Amino acid sequence: MNQIIALALKDLRLMPRNKGGMFFTFAWPIVLMVLFGFAFGGNATSGGAQPKMRIAVTDEDHSDASRTFLAGLEASLELTPMTTAEADLAVRLGRRAGYLVVKPGFGAASQRILSGPSKQVELGVDPARQAEAGMIEGLLMKQAGAELLTRFTAQGSSGGEAWQPLKITTRAVARERRGPENAFDVTFPQGIVWGLIGCVMTFGVSLVTERTHGTLVRLRMAPLSRAQILGGKALACFITIMLVEVILLTVAFGFGVRPSSMGILALAGVSAAVCFVGFMMLIASLGKTEQTASGAGWAILMPMSMLGGAMVPQFVMPQWMQTAGMISPIRWVVLAIEGGIWRQFTLNEMVLPCAILISVGIACFAAGTRGLKEA
Amino acid sequence: MLTLTNVHKSFGKTVAVDGLSLSVRKGELFGLLGPNGAGKSTSVNLAVGLLNPDAGEIAIEGLGNPATASVRRHIGVAPQAIALYDLLSGEENLRFFGEVYGLSGAALARRVAWCLDFVGLSDRKDDAVGKYSGGMKRRLNLAAALVHDPQLLLLDEPTVGVDPQSRNKIFENIEALHAEGRTIIYTTHYMEEAVRLCERIAIVDSGRLLALGTVTELLATHGGPATLVVNTNGETRRMHTADPLAELKRIAATSAVDAVQMERPTLEQVFLSLTGRSLRD
Repeated sequence: MNQIIALALKDLRLMPRNKGGMFFTFAWPIVLMVLFGFAFGGNATSGGAQPKMRIAVTDEDHSDASRTFLAGLEASLELTPMTTAEADLAVRLGRRAGYLVVKPGFGAASQRILSGPSKQVELGVDPARQAEAGMIEGLLMKQAGAELLTRFTAQGSSGGEAWQPLKITTRAVARERRGPENAFDVTFPQGIVWGLIGCVMTFGVSLVTERTHGTLVRLRMAPLSRAQILGGKALACFITIMLVEVILLTVAFGFGVRPSSMGILALAGVSAAVCFVGFMMLIASLGKTEQTASGAGWAILMPMSMLGGAMVPQFVMPQWMQTAGMISPIRWVVLAIEGGIWRQFTLNEMVLPCAILISVGIACFAAGTRGLKEA
Repeated sequence: MLTLTNVHKSFGKTVAVDGLSLSVRKGELFGLLGPNGAGKSTSVNLAVGLLNPDAGEIAIEGLGNPATASVRRHIGVAPQAIALYDLLSGEENLRFFGEVYGLSGAALARRVAWCLDFVGLSDRKDDAVGKYSGGMKRRLNLAAALVHDPQLLLLDEPTVGVDPQSRNKIFENIEALHAEGRTIIYTTHYMEEAVRLCERIAIVDSGRLLALGTVTELLATHGGPATLVVNTNGETRRMHTADPLAELKRIAATSAVDAVQMERPTLEQVFLSLTGRSLRD
């Protein structure tokens, strides 16, 4: 074990001296996370210094309920009253992220609970700004959910009791599903993925470099087994991945990201690390030179990233792409991390993504070590 | 100390080692001389357990087969390709290799300091190896083989591509290690190095052992007669003779000798006589 630790420490010493690797592992993911976080509307619900997303609003109902609903939204969005024509134009010209029309009958529908037509609003969005649309939808649903909760509470405390054919005491057993509260909730998992990719490429290529520079053969002349040599590399990669995740989480915290469960997030982080250590070993086995391994690595990881939602959030993709993304392990990394950030996953709900990630990691590790043995 | 018995090793259709048998004595500085591609490095890789032979046996006296990791702990190897981490300093490289061989704490620090001093790199120990000259890297490569204080050293072409100053330093190092009683196997295709350093030399080609003995034995057995070069009346005559003095007397009796030179046989000629081609072919 001491020898594995010595091997890992050697790689951890080498890592900070590889300036390119350091940049793509630590700096670049932070840049992407922050840049796209602001591009997607920043910290829309913080109420602090972050600017709110600006949308046009048309109240066609003019009821107390519609006014209350819009007033509730003002905590998260900057609303500008307009006519429907003006609102449509504002979105077309890119002056507003979208428009919201509160349809007639909104107030009447608000009086009913769990029956009759639902309250209706129309959301107009620029197709090119789907990420913001997703955010707005999340905020609308959150506001509607909050009002529903208020009405339940109000009925219970009104004193008088309306006639009911059957008095049923309901208890909410379904958890409230939050949407992402701000854009950094979306870009943080993406940043993590880019950090993991940088880490995997750095360590994968470093293993190839060990082979081309003769140090791998030199290590095999030492009293080390092949498993120890690869175990040392895997341990260093795992530690670096965990470090990347902690650093990115710290940065994300500064941008208003609040994990719903640190335990779930840690589970996601460890599972993602296992998966990407496997990728590292696979990539190292794919090329006899650094160039071919790097090329093969990017050729595999880029489409997986695109499909998996590391570039553009999955919820803005067409349905077929979202379905195709199921085959990308990166999709499961994003999902697992989101589970610990805003999806409020339980341990049971984490089983599937974590099992997939760990299985893929083990399979890639086995294929990679076999490939390295034959190389 | 190290015995190879009828060892065979092939890579596909290429036979790298073909029935090699030799025994290296304890404390001996043993040379493995042959041209590039003769099978020297493969023999080293077999001796250190990196490769498994297709047939035959390899054993280290009192320890067993070097394919076992615990046996390799007693062997120091300086491979032909410099195997160091360019981004680590000289000291960090040695510390790492020491840790890999199980050293730690004060013992590790002591051995690292000794090795750096031994190869003359103490003043550059904190510099990244990437900034070292080729000769300095070679010396550090040797130090990395020594850090765990092995009694058996395998040095595979340790002077390839180094400047004369570093070459001399490496020679001095090897002679000092030999004087300490370590067993050293030295592979080279430089005849002069083998003659200068090695007590016994095995000449190999195409994976086969062609001849084995001391330099004197090899020259006597395979070098052929000495060449007497005599200049008489502006004419240069070259004669192969087993008794140069008698031949010189015979010539001097009949003509005036202006200049005389003796060319003794070399290992180059030994190799030529054994294979029909030059060591450097």
